[in-house]
Amino acid sequence: MLLPAIPDTGFDLTMSASVQSGSAVEYPRHPPGDLAIWIFILAELGVFALFFAAYAFARSHNVALFDEFQQHLDRRAALINTLALITGSYFVVRAVAAIRENQRDHCVRWLLAALSMGALFLVVKWGEYAHHFGQGITLSTNTFYMFYLSLTFFHFMHVILGMVILAAVAWKAQRGAYSAEQHTGVESGASYWHMVDLVWLILFPLVYVMH
Amino acid sequence: MSGTFTKSMARNIFYGGAVFFFLMFVALTFDTTRALPKLDNRGAITPEVSMGKKLWEENDCIGCHTLLGEGAYFAPELGNVYTRYGNSKEAIMGFIKSRPKDGIPGRRSMPQFNFTDEELNALAEFLKYSSEIDTANWPPNVQG
Amino acid sequence: MQYTSQAVAKPYFMAAIALFVAQILFGLIIGLQYVWGDFLFPEIPFNVARMVHTNTLIVWLLFGFMGASYYLVPEEAETELFAPWLAILMFWVFLVAAGLTVAGYLLVPYATLAELTMNDLLPTMGREFLEQPTITKIGIVIVALAFLFNIGMTVLRGRKTVVNLVLLLGLLGLAVFFLFAFYVPDNLVLDKYYWWWVVHLWVEGVWELILGAILAFVLIKITGVDREIIEKWLYVIIAMTLITGIIGTGHHYYWIGTPVYWQWWGSIFSAMEPIPFFMMTVYAFNMVNRRRRNHPNKVATLWALGTAVMAFLGAGVWGFLHTLAPVNYYTHGTQITAAHGHMAFYGAYVMIVLTIISYAMPILRGRTAANSNKSQVLEMWSFWLMTVSMVFITLFLTGAGILQTYLQRVSDAPQGFMVVQEQISLFYWMRELAGVVFLIGLVLYIASFFVGSKDPEATVEVSG
Repeated sequence: MLLPAIPDTGFDLTMSASVQSGSAVEYPRHPPGDLAIWIFILAELGVFALFFAAYAFARSHNVALFDEFQQHLDRRAALINTLALITGSYFVVRAVAAIRENQRDHCVRWLLAALSMGALFLVVKWGEYAHHFGQGITLSTNTFYMFYLSLTFFHFMHVILGMVILAAVAWKAQRGAYSAEQHTGVESGASYWHMVDLVWLILFPLVYVMH
Repeated sequence: MSGTFTKSMARNIFYGGAVFFFLMFVALTFDTTRALPKLDNRGAITPEVSMGKKLWEENDCIGCHTLLGEGAYFAPELGNVYTRYGNSKEAIMGFIKSRPKDGIPGRRSMPQFNFTDEELNALAEFLKYSSEIDTANWPPNVQG
Repeated sequence: MQYTSQAVAKPYFMAAIALFVAQILFGLIIGLQYVWGDFLFPEIPFNVARMVHTNTLIVWLLFGFMGASYYLVPEEAETELFAPWLAILMFWVFLVAAGLTVAGYLLVPYATLAELTMNDLLPTMGREFLEQPTITKIGIVIVALAFLFNIGMTVLRGRKTVVNLVLLLGLLGLAVFFLFAFYVPDNLVLDKYYWWWVVHLWVEGVWELILGAILAFVLIKITGVDREIIEKWLYVIIAMTLITGIIGTGHHYYWIGTPVYWQWWGSIFSAMEPIPFFMMTVYAFNMVNRRRRNHPNKVATLWALGTAVMAFLGAGVWGFLHTLAPVNYYTHGTQITAAHGHMAFYGAYVMIVLTIISYAMPILRGRTAANSNKSQVLEMWSFWLMTVSMVFITLFLTGAGILQTYLQRVSDAPQGFMVVQEQISLFYWMRELAGVVFLIGLVLYIASFFVGSKDPEATVEVSG
């Protein structure tokens, strides 16, 4: 018998055996979700780390330029985006909790709520881009804008990808593909979303704030 | 199953990753296309330059030379030959015209193409146009 | 042979090897011309011999990919090839077209060939690796379409294994990207931008899918490791290939008139391009290590492992050495490029074709699974001779390249191109010597098809 508090991520047999023996709350020996998604997440974080390092390097050679043009960025929009992503992550956590209790409909609703936060992010970011492009700013304007646009656009694409993944998970959840015993897909999708959020939480202070 | 990773997850990552990066590449291509006019010296593409490029291709100059560093490594870089020859079309034309038809004994030799003066001029115009493309300060020096 | 139609692969493999010989002979010619400048001038100038060398390489690899497909797809799909007669017809069309094209290169001046083949109607000649007359290129498209149709219908009818799907995707990509060979604008920057969509997206893109699929097939057959595991890792490898390689195209966009941001995007992504090759090496060795059977075709196993290692070294490591923009600024268009190019092409693509030939040819010639011990040993000798001599070719060209880069690009008193070439000529002589050893290896390779062909098949003792 599985106690609701025990995170069930689809263990191998030995794990479930020890759970069934009635021992105390077992924590999963493996991260939640498919191991492949974790390899992928680590790879993604690695690439973003590389970009951030490149940003730091470029900035150290162009401090005045970076400081000046950073002022032109819309920090309020970035704040809204930060709150949107964090709220989205919270909704995703609720979605995973829901499916762990076999509450399929709640899971789907929380996922849709997370998607709406993602959409909000995209709209706000798009607004920022529209403003920049309207002023004739492009990747070739100067090194600061090259990095700012590259980093945020690369992240923007990841938000879209995260939303596609959550939408796919919501779709499958709606059709009953997941249960309290088996919901690796939900956890994989959730983990990926959290990564996208985490990257923003580093990007935002680095590019918008620190000077 | 956590602790393992499934073939279908690997498949999804493949397709997702491929589509994602293809879209990114298309986006960057769009931006590059819009940025090129300021860099590629397209304003200098006259009918002579076009003709010169065609002659360049029909005689497979790239089979021995490099142009902007790309091509074969048997003969010198020609993207900056206009500069290297003191900004002189005549010097370029003179060089091509003067290649001995049987080559130079023992040395790497360039064919004699028997170009007309019009063709020689077109080639020189093409090489001049090439030298004015903004190649981010490449090559490092005049030797190419 | 499980399906009789797999037999159509044999002529493809034979043509591949014949063209490989032609490629190496012309390679030796141009290698000699590097140091004996007017050798065969003006009858066969350097650029003509070079285009024969590069074009025969590409065509023999294409014959190899097609042969590989005709062999492995019916077996994977568990059904006969859709139209064996079409495969044979296309074989002759392709072979004759290739022969005529090479004859054209050698017998008339290139400009005359352009005129004779009506290049003016749709000019596509005169670019590196794409020297073929437009009519030849159109022929290639037709052959490719017929081939894709044939293989595609076979997969559609039969089992859609991951190996089949990845191979098909790679081949489709090959065909689609080849179409960019028809776009030759007046604008040199645009010309170069899209030229790389053929070349880079081939060899650092879709060709890696083909390589991965063929390697996976051979590993499944030779090691007996569960298909699920091999196919899963194949997906991971090709995912990393495209994730790194698509934007990695940017490492060709540093100095050709494209925006400066490519120096950043291209450097970062192309620096990661060795990752799939590293994974492939671990993958190949791992699968062989945990094999569930001892396959009698030892030399095919050697080729498979060798492919992974040499591809990693040539494409991955040597590629990495000159991929970062600050380095490439100095090495662009030097012998460093040639060094990388040779080992990468040999390690990845020459070797995977030789791997599948090594695996399949004995079966196509009537063996159960492998050649005789005598044949295999001779083939192993050829493997080592060709592979080690290629390593030396690469090392000598790297030496030449480093010296060239210093003298012509880095030094405060840079010297002219021809002056520098004189000074690095010793490296070129040594490279040529290594090239001769490579040819010896190739001769032994050919011999291995004949020596020991009457001897009994190699077997593996069943351990007690």
